Amino acid sequence: MSSVAGKDYPPVESRLEAEHVRAFAVAIGADPDAGVPPTYAAVYALFSTAVQLYGDPEAAVDFAHLLHSEQEFTWSRHPEVGEEVVAAGRVEEDVERRNLRFLTYATDVSSSGEPVCGSRMVNVIRG
Amino acid sequence: MTSALEPFQWKVTREQISAYAEASGDRNPIHLDEEAARAAGLPGVIAHGMLGMAQLANFVVAYAGDHRRIRRLRCRFSGMVLPGDTITFTGRVAGEEGGLTTLELSAENQKGERVLTKALAEVATAG
Repeated sequence: MSSVAGKDYPPVESRLEAEHVRAFAVAIGADPDAGVPPTYAAVYALFSTAVQLYGDPEAAVDFAHLLHSEQEFTWSRHPEVGEEVVAAGRVEEDVERRNLRFLTYATDVSSSGEPVCGSRMVNVIRG
Repeated sequence: MTSALEPFQWKVTREQISAYAEASGDRNPIHLDEEAARAAGLPGVIAHGMLGMAQLANFVVAYAGDHRRIRRLRCRFSGMVLPGDTITFTGRVAGEEGGLTTLELSAENQKGERVLTKALAEVATAG
């Protein structure tokens, strides 16, 4: 298996739809009137860009044996309901250790050209 | 001022895991289908790591008052979270520097097994 470390993916635009944000807040037990829950970043930062990685034949991610091992989000500012954001993902690290593949995926999210949120996800894939 | 956060309990249900799958878009069958979960070598359906991290965020929001003060949130998913589990989140103020308060956080199940490790939040210091 060849490493895809350093590979980046085209930016993905999304809008933080009020109805969707509210449904997410209710599902996690957060206050649905308090705005965008921090881990809604799983949707606007992670999910939208991780599908590019998981669907990339060159990356050849064995999704059936993938575990989400670590996650970090940083915010320079939290986005608000209705905002449009752009998320761009890149493979930060792709190494094999003890028959496990460690795949670290970083995503930068911006709004009107200004940084909003950064995501760093470590996946471990059993060989 | 006390440095310990008020502990927070999360009772994990199948219903909430399903609701999270819908709301987040992560419909991986290991969270929804017993047979698929067992085929993947798991004891049964497990909660999304990100649903646990959402609870960690709720815990930090209860401390911070407003999620917009949260600058960083990270954790390692170190143990499986199953329907029927009760997860207890604990935390303490580890330091204050440069306008940021660092919280060291932890989560364990009813058997005392840690399900989140390396958990940390940075919150803009009130004032």
